[in-house]
Amino acid sequence: MPHRIINWIDKRFPLTSFVKHELTGYPTPRNLSYWWNFGFLAGFVLVLQVATGIFLAMHYKADIALSFDSIQHIMRDVNYGWLLRYMHSTGASAFFLVIFIHMARTLYYGSYRAPRELLWWTGQGLLLLLMATAFMGYLLPWGQMSFWGATVITNLFRATPFIGDEVVIWLRGDYTVGDATLTRFFALHYLFPFLIIGAVVVHLVALHTVKSSNPSGIDLADKDNIPFHPYFTAKDFYGLGVFLIVYSVFVFFMPDSLIEPANNIPANPMQTPTHIVPEWYFLPFYAILRSVPSMVGGVVAMGLSVMIFAFMPYLDRSRIPGGAHYRPIYRILFYTFVVDMAVLGYIGYIPPTDMSIVIGQWATLAYFGMFLMLPFISKLEEKWMRKRGLPAELQTLIESEAKDKSKIMHRRRKGDIA
Amino acid sequence: MNKFMTLLALSCFAVQAQASETRLQKIEVSADVQTVERGAEALMTDCRSCHSLKYIKYRSLANYGIDQQKIDAWRGDQPMDASVMAYMSEADAAQSFGVAPPDLSLMAKARNGGVNYVYSYLVGYFVGQDGMPGNHVYPTTRMPDVLGISGATDEAQRKPIQNRARDITSFLAWAADPHAPERKRLGYYVLAYLFALTFLLYFVKNQIWSGLK
Repeated sequence: MPHRIINWIDKRFPLTSFVKHELTGYPTPRNLSYWWNFGFLAGFVLVLQVATGIFLAMHYKADIALSFDSIQHIMRDVNYGWLLRYMHSTGASAFFLVIFIHMARTLYYGSYRAPRELLWWTGQGLLLLLMATAFMGYLLPWGQMSFWGATVITNLFRATPFIGDEVVIWLRGDYTVGDATLTRFFALHYLFPFLIIGAVVVHLVALHTVKSSNPSGIDLADKDNIPFHPYFTAKDFYGLGVFLIVYSVFVFFMPDSLIEPANNIPANPMQTPTHIVPEWYFLPFYAILRSVPSMVGGVVAMGLSVMIFAFMPYLDRSRIPGGAHYRPIYRILFYTFVVDMAVLGYIGYIPPTDMSIVIGQWATLAYFGMFLMLPFISKLEEKWMRKRGLPAELQTLIESEAKDKSKIMHRRRKGDIA
Repeated sequence: MNKFMTLLALSCFAVQAQASETRLQKIEVSADVQTVERGAEALMTDCRSCHSLKYIKYRSLANYGIDQQKIDAWRGDQPMDASVMAYMSEADAAQSFGVAPPDLSLMAKARNGGVNYVYSYLVGYFVGQDGMPGNHVYPTTRMPDVLGISGATDEAQRKPIQNRARDITSFLAWAADPHAPERKRLGYYVLAYLFALTFLLYFVKNQIWSGLK
């Protein structure tokens, strides 16, 4: 009977062939490490955020007179409302954490390189959508940090040439952040996740066209590829278990560590908090914004600091396969970049002092310096590595994979295999 | 030499007292019903003349196990589903103190340092050399020293005031996060389940991968 139903469907919809093509027959490099789990985890967190968000929206009121109270209503009176809200607020941080690791893995292993540029760029678009969604969601509780964060960030659009002031008013729907801003942010915060889901589909189509990269950086021969299901579904679910343990520790035991204390005070337009800080995932970019003395320059630098990742396929000129694993100088650069991000994050968090401003400026210079020097460094590194000879491990891998591939080509020509 | 050391220690202490960003005292708040009830009792006499707790309803106090007779005394003719509101209106309080007293429902979460801040603030009052009152934690506060810690001269007098401050802080911690005990209890079950599940998933993964050549 089930067989007949599937037959019936297959005549009308490519169900079996879809499952075979994308799951049970989808070739995945068998040497993927656990760093390749984070794309799946990001997808899982997206579902979690949409699911908890829909239920929160049933109890939330987007009105500046009611929104703060409605959050307290959710936290105190709604059955398991505290769980929904803490899952959602922790989920935002979890989303950025897995996305940052996902991006760090791409940078480390050079997964952005040809032919995966479009895959990388759709990911860049997803990052922008995620940032916009998180920013708008942060206004909804209508706490002090919500209000002042939204005020500071919408104010940055004043840097738009000629029509800056008009753009700011257009975004806020008012001269200041107010009821019009809150209602539109709520509407858009509900819309954007569905745009993200659409963009994820595009990201996955691109992925399934070029297939996963792998730690070696070489396209592996067929014998080193295994079906996604059951091998990687099993591995992803194990990774999911580990992720959920970390996530639950935050949700159940320290959910407020991710919420700024000042956001437990209702928004007060007459009283500026002594120290306005964004959420931790925006801190490095916020530090770059503050490091540039002019406002317009700061906004341009901050925008560029997020968008510069898109240029990586062209900035990295090396043709040595694999990423930092086989490239010692690129590896140093990668770790310097991670440390620099941490320094910027810290500088963005503390109230500015003379010392911290100077450190922030150096860290900003280092941030852009690393990207802009990369074409020269990667070129020189390749020259030096070729002269010195590639690592033996890499050399044998390249040769054996090339042999396997030519063997298969040969058999294909003879008609042994399809 | 000894005298010099004493002087040095004293001068350090003096500098500390002058600093506006005093280090907060760390305290352990308790979520047990007796402590929360004592804290509620202290708060109703010491704080509620000016401060409201608009997110706390009398019914939630009763649900937590606080003595119904005490609740009835606090609420007067208010219904059980009414919020705990200040005796003084916000406008009157603003007129007396120059600033509207903040709502206390979320106070234990709304300051950097959380409960440590609240406790250190309550016991942070002192009388300066010029005879003017001050507070180490919040120097520009408009709230008077309701617990009377600045008048206490020795340890025997300070101790009961500190205990009272700790009870009030415990009550405010409960008020800011009334589901915390339930959340933690549930959290242990969730984590136990997830550890078991992840352990099994690890074996499933290994079992499936062991079939590979």
